[in-house]
Amino acid sequence: MIVEQVAQHWAITLFVLAVFGLCAFMIGAASLLGGRAWGHKKDTPYESGIVPAGDAHQRFSVKFYLVAMLFVIFDVEALYLFAWAVSVRESGWAGFVEASIFIIVLLVGLVYLNRIGALTWAPRKRIKRETEKT
Amino acid sequence: MNLTTSHLIALLPLLIVGTTVIVVMLGVAWRRHHVASATVTVIGLNLALLSLLAVLNVTPLEVTPLIVVDKYAVLYMALILVASLACSTLAHAYLEGLDDQREEFYMLLLCATMGGLLLVSSQHLASLFIGLELLSVPIYGMAAYTYRDRTSLEAGIKYMVLSAMASAFLLFGMALLYAEAGTLSFSGLSARMSGGELSSAWTLMGVGMMVIGLGFKLSLAPFHLWTPDVYEGAPAPVSAFLATVSKIAVFAVLLRFFMTAPATGDGWLHTVIAIIAFLSMLVGNLLALTQNNLKRLLGYSSIAHLGYLLTVIVASDGLAIETAGIYLITYVATTLGAFGVVTLVSSPYQGPDAGQLYHYRGLFWRRPYLTAVLTLMMLSLAGIPLTAGFIGKFYALAIGVESSLWWLVAGIVIGSALGLYYYLRVMVTLYLHEPGESRRDATANWGQRSGGVMVLLLALAVLVIGIYPQPIISLVRSATLITAG
Repeated sequence: MIVEQVAQHWAITLFVLAVFGLCAFMIGAASLLGGRAWGHKKDTPYESGIVPAGDAHQRFSVKFYLVAMLFVIFDVEALYLFAWAVSVRESGWAGFVEASIFIIVLLVGLVYLNRIGALTWAPRKRIKRETEKT
Repeated sequence: MNLTTSHLIALLPLLIVGTTVIVVMLGVAWRRHHVASATVTVIGLNLALLSLLAVLNVTPLEVTPLIVVDKYAVLYMALILVASLACSTLAHAYLEGLDDQREEFYMLLLCATMGGLLLVSSQHLASLFIGLELLSVPIYGMAAYTYRDRTSLEAGIKYMVLSAMASAFLLFGMALLYAEAGTLSFSGLSARMSGGELSSAWTLMGVGMMVIGLGFKLSLAPFHLWTPDVYEGAPAPVSAFLATVSKIAVFAVLLRFFMTAPATGDGWLHTVIAIIAFLSMLVGNLLALTQNNLKRLLGYSSIAHLGYLLTVIVASDGLAIETAGIYLITYVATTLGAFGVVTLVSSPYQGPDAGQLYHYRGLFWRRPYLTAVLTLMMLSLAGIPLTAGFIGKFYALAIGVESSLWWLVAGIVIGSALGLYYYLRVMVTLYLHEPGESRRDATANWGQRSGGVMVLLLALAVLVIGIYPQPIISLVRSATLITAG
């Protein structure tokens, strides 16, 4: 059995080496034999044919990250409901009660987030200004 | 399986703490009020503690294959609940000075407590992992709670990155074990291991990776590097929580794992753990020698103490469960007291904590009673007779001698001798002449505040356990573990 295993290991090693060798050969041969074209436009990034504008290092509002995170959290939690959905008849009332508790906890979380202003898009200063106006 | 009333009763502590989180959250959504949030938290934790009396009537009971509630779990649940009660009273005093949102702290604290409760009653690798994450993730937030301090933010991020690393190791280890054994329950793993089927390289790797993951959470050498930085940077009540609740819970589940599934096989694992224990004792004590920061010093001393405690797992027979119980109780009382004093001196929050030793220079002349408490805690940490620490250390030595683990016994003796030096150094600082400049100080009425009362009670407990340990010993003896799945 050990002989078989060693043979298998050798076969896999050979296979991996052959894969790397083939890749190296293809890239190496192409770079040695192939021609090369130079041009001014060739150095610009290809954006589906549209000329790129502006800098890539833009600053986004941190709110984007917050909303993205909240979305992921609620999205993943809603995913658990699928497990209940496929077995809703089998799990019966006990399952219903448990799922309700789960949904209520999620809802409380949503209320909390809304109340502390995590879902408000406008910056805090503007909200303050507008409440002072009215 | 169907949940019956007795199952629900067994889960009561978890359910109560979970409900408290929701109540505090709704309270914050309705109106922010610091004292109200703290009060609800304390009431919830006390109710959970009371519910343990009801739980005792139904133990031992398996609730789903994931959780088992036996007397062992109840003891550690009680210890965790008491420790987090202490931390919330300390946090209340500390957060009063914080000019930010203070109420969320209690939600995080309760969530972490829930994780601890789940961890000590888990008998399955899945619930072990869920409990561990539920315990660790809120601690990231708690460590970085005063995020305007750079040290606190740094502590939070450091703990998050390294802890996530450790969780990855743990998870990979579990996956390897599952691939070999086809089961995740402790008893199933134990059955497969005792059958001698699990001696392949994959099992070794799996168990080894789990040891790395759990060693990180217990801050054992050589996985201890995060400990002093996080202890120093995190707010003092959080350091107290980290040093007590998180350590108790992880150690309790580790001990349960080793008692249920003794992966003795050819004994290599015990050798590895013995080496880790010995290293932790030496590294913790040696590095603590040169510290000028009390919080860092306590961090290093916790590494050493966990090293002493690991003797229990290496021996894992006879007195093991009793020793672990006694040692953890004395360690928790002492550590909470020491961090409690640090918290009281740093409260209410006003910038970085008073961690540096020079803040404590001449504390005796200003706050004699508080100094007495800190002195007592230092004596107890050093393991001087008539304090609780002595009883714990005596048990650790006894189990080492009983199982003829001479290297570890030597480690405990050398470590204690080294420890005496730096604990005494702290004590000497307390009684030096007061310098002229103004230092950080506890508020004048600290003794009448909840945090102060808690610290005084802890000091009393440390003395009583040290002088008359019999009630605690019989309590711990009754906390039996059920190993059959």
